[in-house]
Amino acid sequence: MVTAAPYLVLAAVGAPVLAGLATMLLPASRRLTRLALATAGPATSVLLMAIHLGRNGVSTADTPTGTIAWVPSLNLDISFLVDGLGAFFALLIAGMGVVVVLYARAYFGHDAASLARFFPTLGFFSSAMLGVVLADHLLLTVLFWEMTSVSSFLLIGWDRDDADAGKRAMQAFFTTGLGGFALLGGVLLFGGHTGIWRWSHLMAEAATISHDGTVVAAFVLMFVGAATKSAQWPLHDWLPGAMKAPTPVSAYLHSATMVKAGVFLLGRMLPAFGALALWLPLLVSIGAVTMLLGAVLALNQGDLKKIFAYTTVSHLGLLVAMYGMGGASTTGGLGAISWDLTQIASHALYKAPLFLVVGALAHLVGARRLPHLFGLWHRPGAGAKAAAVVLLLSGYALAGGPGTVSFVAKELFFAATTRASDLHPVLAVVGVMAIAAAACNVAIFVRLTTTVLGHRSGVGEAADAPVVPAGQPDRWAFMLWAPAAALIALQYLGGLVPSLWNRTFRGVEVNVHDEAFATGIPLAWEPFLHPGMPLLMTAIAITAGVVLGFSGWMRRDMVDVHSRIWPASYRGIRRGGHRIFHSIQTGHVRHYLAVVFSVLTLCIGWAAWADPAMLRPPAGMDPFEYPAGLLLGAVVCAAAIALPMVTERVVRVLVLGASGFAVVGLYLVYQAPDLALTQLMFEIISVILFLLVLRLLPRADRRPRIRVLPRLALASVVGISIGWMTLLAGHAADNRADDAPTLGKFFEAHSLEGSELTDGRGGEGRNVVNVILVDFRGFDTLGEITVLATAALGVWSMLPGRRRHREEEDLAVDTGQGVQT
Amino acid sequence: MRMSSLILRTAVRFILPLTFLYAAYAALKGHNGPGGGFIAGLIASVGFCTYRMSYGDRAFHRLLPLHPRWLVFVGLGLAGAVATLPLVFGQPLLRSASTTLYLGGSEVHLVSAMAFDLGVLLVVVGVAVGMISRLGEELDR
Repeated sequence: MVTAAPYLVLAAVGAPVLAGLATMLLPASRRLTRLALATAGPATSVLLMAIHLGRNGVSTADTPTGTIAWVPSLNLDISFLVDGLGAFFALLIAGMGVVVVLYARAYFGHDAASLARFFPTLGFFSSAMLGVVLADHLLLTVLFWEMTSVSSFLLIGWDRDDADAGKRAMQAFFTTGLGGFALLGGVLLFGGHTGIWRWSHLMAEAATISHDGTVVAAFVLMFVGAATKSAQWPLHDWLPGAMKAPTPVSAYLHSATMVKAGVFLLGRMLPAFGALALWLPLLVSIGAVTMLLGAVLALNQGDLKKIFAYTTVSHLGLLVAMYGMGGASTTGGLGAISWDLTQIASHALYKAPLFLVVGALAHLVGARRLPHLFGLWHRPGAGAKAAAVVLLLSGYALAGGPGTVSFVAKELFFAATTRASDLHPVLAVVGVMAIAAAACNVAIFVRLTTTVLGHRSGVGEAADAPVVPAGQPDRWAFMLWAPAAALIALQYLGGLVPSLWNRTFRGVEVNVHDEAFATGIPLAWEPFLHPGMPLLMTAIAITAGVVLGFSGWMRRDMVDVHSRIWPASYRGIRRGGHRIFHSIQTGHVRHYLAVVFSVLTLCIGWAAWADPAMLRPPAGMDPFEYPAGLLLGAVVCAAAIALPMVTERVVRVLVLGASGFAVVGLYLVYQAPDLALTQLMFEIISVILFLLVLRLLPRADRRPRIRVLPRLALASVVGISIGWMTLLAGHAADNRADDAPTLGKFFEAHSLEGSELTDGRGGEGRNVVNVILVDFRGFDTLGEITVLATAALGVWSMLPGRRRHREEEDLAVDTGQGVQT
Repeated sequence: MRMSSLILRTAVRFILPLTFLYAAYAALKGHNGPGGGFIAGLIASVGFCTYRMSYGDRAFHRLLPLHPRWLVFVGLGLAGAVATLPLVFGQPLLRSASTTLYLGGSEVHLVSAMAFDLGVLLVVVGVAVGMISRLGEELDR
């Protein structure tokens, strides 16, 4: 194992956030330097990953990339697993990061403040995402997972003046945060049950993991985490909502990377959990429903960003269903999952350009809705034409037209459903749903084309003014469409020259089971030479899609019924929380005390019920050893009973003091001079303090009387049970049969001299009490004096000094207003 | 808040030095006999309080010219420093060190925990005296 490897990967993970933070050190005017630095972050990650892969190759489950010790006592360390899946995702994330940073420069060009804020936040997100896909330790994955939720929250709620953006950010954060909790729960459950805390370990031991209830529960929890992150039905509504974010964010987080984290997690889980009986039905049903729902909703939108958001939901459903069918490969021995990384890469390579070009159109034309973009091609201006070209090329890939990687990916999925339906006839339904979803995508492309090439020139009539003023061309404006063009070029390059694609992805593809494409993805025309079920499905989808696209059906803005889930549950949570809060937090000390004491008594009562031996007086007790002690005890009790009887506050304090002084006497009788001295001094000071405070309090005549009897009863029960517990605790040590070391004996023995138990170090004092205070339990004492100091600070700040009062009074006189205290 | 009884004032004049003396004794003796920083702090506080009650605020300020919060800050700082100092030498938190001094033939055993105890003493005095004098001021107004 190369020891430098984990540090190299760690550097790759940390580079984006460090570079992003470093941009904040530069003055705001150095925009070019900032951009260069921000670009250098993800670029460094790409470079480091390439170096790592060049030196160490792709690791497998048996040879994880190595660890850096972090919290050894918790068995937590920074360990990485750069296997095919991880390396692919890392390169995708870092590569897209570079593109998005460059695009953001053009997108935020007019808004330097936003740009300055954007780079660190995006860097934070990139690093978190890289961490998710490269971590080997399960808890490390969860940690980075949460960081992606947090950074996503910051990025969705980017526009701080937009209340709706804030709400959408919260929705996304709550939904994915809920999933994060589920994931954490699943990981803890699984790790605690099996002792497996690493993905590499998990994959290596996949065959030996038993399929008992705990493992299934852990799997379901992890799946909830993956499904919320990847916007699966019925919790998908946050993803279209997240389109409130600026376009670079939508393109990066909500199409190419973050939402794929759930899919990635399923890819990680597949080797271990794929054989579970629940895997296939759960993933395929949820995934297929999401796929079809997303596609239908996408067709029924007018806003381009919404359209592409719903197609993203649809494609995420497809990926989940694909991994779901992958479960059949381990149980049925039939390859149902094929080229999963190609599927994911293909989606990123057309969806990100689509989003980027939507942002470009909003800038260049000022319109994002389909009706407003009618006749875009005929609009003057090179930028708009270029954007239109990229839009159509990407739309073609969205539809899965021949000549793109997307076409092959779609063929692969159709082939997978065909094979899966051979295995389970029910899965033929998934094939039909896939055709329907593909038809919707084709219809979207048809509508995009007819809109853009439409001959009635009327662009901008109903649209808003372009964000970029026409008179001042930004020299970075080309960056609005250039990154998208570069990405979509890769789609066609891979589709037309598959050997290049194969050479790139062959090494990292982890789940290649399909015989038809065993040697790599084929040339564009090859599927046509071998007609079969997949090609037939494609033909049906394209025909149906074209008809649908030209028809007038499904053109209204459809509101997703699931968008009601979040507001309703949010309201419910808030109302419920409000109600619970007000029923618990009454604001009356006596209520709190009654609750606390009742619970305490109940706990003790429960313990006594469980162990009746607690009710017997401890053996070896001689209550009549010291008659004086009994007498003083009686005084304490009498004072306690008299306390609620008297009404005058001052008298109460004095009665309380009498009880305290009787306790001093008790300490003396039982030979505890230290305690007696402390109690004596403490009683003096507390009586003085009480009297002072009481004289400052307003007269208590309007307070409702609380009945004496219930209080007396509760107080007696609490006092008796606590006293009894103390008695038992004091005698517990005496009644131990063996000479097992108790704390008391330990302290006694080690107060002066040490022993081997304490490495030969003693407290070097003969006063055990004091040695306990300053040595054995010194940390407690440090905490206590800190609390004391804080309390005193509270008094001084609530009752500010005399000088300040005078100032306030002077001020009040000057302004002619009274001081309200 | 002032109890101007002649008997009390006269008694306090004699009691106060004795109180402080006893507090010092308790603090120094604490590690081996009854006493300790906490107790000593309480004893000294009682002394300050009785003085303030019998002679009033002005005289009390002459006795303790600085605001009690400084006692708290210094005490807490001292205790914290003693607690964290072992960390510098690679020892666990609060590990006490000891040394024996020979002063004119008599042995004095010094433990670093005593400095910690002194910090406790200062905090206790500062808190108790500070609270009581502050509330007293409030009553005097």
